Amino acid sequence: MAKSYQEINEKIARGEAVVVTAEEVIAIVKERGLKEAAQYVDVVTTATFGPMCSSGAFLNFGHADPPIRMGQITINGVEAYGGLAAVDTYLGATQPSQDKGIEYGGAHVISDLIAGKAVHLLAKSQGTDCYPRKEIDTWVKLEDLNEAYLFNPRNVYQNYNAAINGSSERLYTYMGILQPNMGNITYSTAGELSPLLNDPLLKTIGMGTRIFFGGAQGHVSWMGTQFNSACPRDEKGYPQTPGATLALIGNMKEMNPKYIRGAVYEGYGTSMFVGVGIPIPILNEEMMAFVAVENKDLYTNVIDYSVPKKAKPSLKKVSYAELRSGAVDINGKIIKTSPLSSLKMAREIADELGNWIKKGQFFLQEPIQSFPQGNAIKGLEIKEGESR
Amino acid sequence: MTKKILLSFPQKAAGQPMAMELIKTYHLDFSILKAFIDDNIKGTLLLEIKGSEADIEAGIVYLREHQIGVRDIESVVEVDQAKCVSCGACTAVCAVDALEMTADWSLVHHDDKCLECMLCVKACPMRAIHAII
Repeated sequence: MAKSYQEINEKIARGEAVVVTAEEVIAIVKERGLKEAAQYVDVVTTATFGPMCSSGAFLNFGHADPPIRMGQITINGVEAYGGLAAVDTYLGATQPSQDKGIEYGGAHVISDLIAGKAVHLLAKSQGTDCYPRKEIDTWVKLEDLNEAYLFNPRNVYQNYNAAINGSSERLYTYMGILQPNMGNITYSTAGELSPLLNDPLLKTIGMGTRIFFGGAQGHVSWMGTQFNSACPRDEKGYPQTPGATLALIGNMKEMNPKYIRGAVYEGYGTSMFVGVGIPIPILNEEMMAFVAVENKDLYTNVIDYSVPKKAKPSLKKVSYAELRSGAVDINGKIIKTSPLSSLKMAREIADELGNWIKKGQFFLQEPIQSFPQGNAIKGLEIKEGESR
Repeated sequence: MTKKILLSFPQKAAGQPMAMELIKTYHLDFSILKAFIDDNIKGTLLLEIKGSEADIEAGIVYLREHQIGVRDIESVVEVDQAKCVSCGACTAVCAVDALEMTADWSLVHHDDKCLECMLCVKACPMRAIHAII
């Protein structure tokens, strides 16, 4: 018998909802069987805590007297976008600071703001009849801002690649430091706990889905950029390569600096660790079967990052169980594997989201629009000559 | 016993027969693991010393009496637990598994295995790993 969102939310309101994590649910399904488990479990929590470069914050500073139309803006020495209205800006997570470079970037400013620290705002303008001020030099805290919300265009990648280096030189990448001569393998996706691998066809995740976002209750606002629902899948529908992505939105004023952290990838740049938890409603046996997936049945490709082309070769298809085991055999060579996202923190987030739901503090939001199936990503063609 | 100590020499402590004293008076055997001199302002020496517990203790008292800073060192890299999120990026470059993930996916640092290559300092996205020298 199927359950509706409303029925599950009523159980949450009564404090009767059965909520477990995507790791815990595996044993429940094995013990009780799909049918009984689907009756018993109401919500399965999923989570991830890893580097997500395509992230950033919209900020509104409020008007000074006399007011300024901010053109060139820096916050703690990190440039923010000056092409919006007078005192609105977008601060990108990967923007390096003008004096400290990648060691302190937009992501660090964002986590400092969430931690309640004062940040140094400098802005310049030509001055206009309506905005006469030409310069401003002040300090602001998150609480001083009118609005401050993260709007991350591409987060929670469904099944990212694992990385290896087939060259004889060490590589410094967004997949960490890759040792020469296939010295190591790194991977980032949280496997059986990963949000979008537990709902591979995005049947319950769409526009408006309420989520755990950096410690706040946020929402899925749109499909993420490079949304690739046309990716190759196994017979059950699980992606075999990077698939869907999500654009997320949430109020920075309600976030916790523990779950939003600035990060530095040596030789690459600044990134941001983002903590995301997504609840999967067990509406029917089909959803129960999806969330019961195990690491041994989820696969990704080990991609050679030493090939300086868009299409990099895959050296092997491996399961998350193999990646988590600590070593993978590639052509007879045993190669060490290391994670880049924190499973420990992801588990903490899945538990925290579960506690919110059990306490009746978090309710499920049915998507107001689903995302397209069969959506392929395009590349960028280099065209010569005049525009055509 | 064997022990690692980090010595810091302010300018005023320069010119003393420290090495001779440690060998002759305190019967200590030592190897210099790392040495830095900072334009005559301060010198730093990482030593591995060998000797009886009493001799090591007496040798350290001697050094301190001569204005030489002495600090016990377990490892030349320190993991700041407040900053570490147990992502695992440092384990990717640790060839000797001095940094590894435990069964519950927390990061653990085995001081005794560390070869002091310092690659983990660069690999840590949280900048939670610091080199002492």
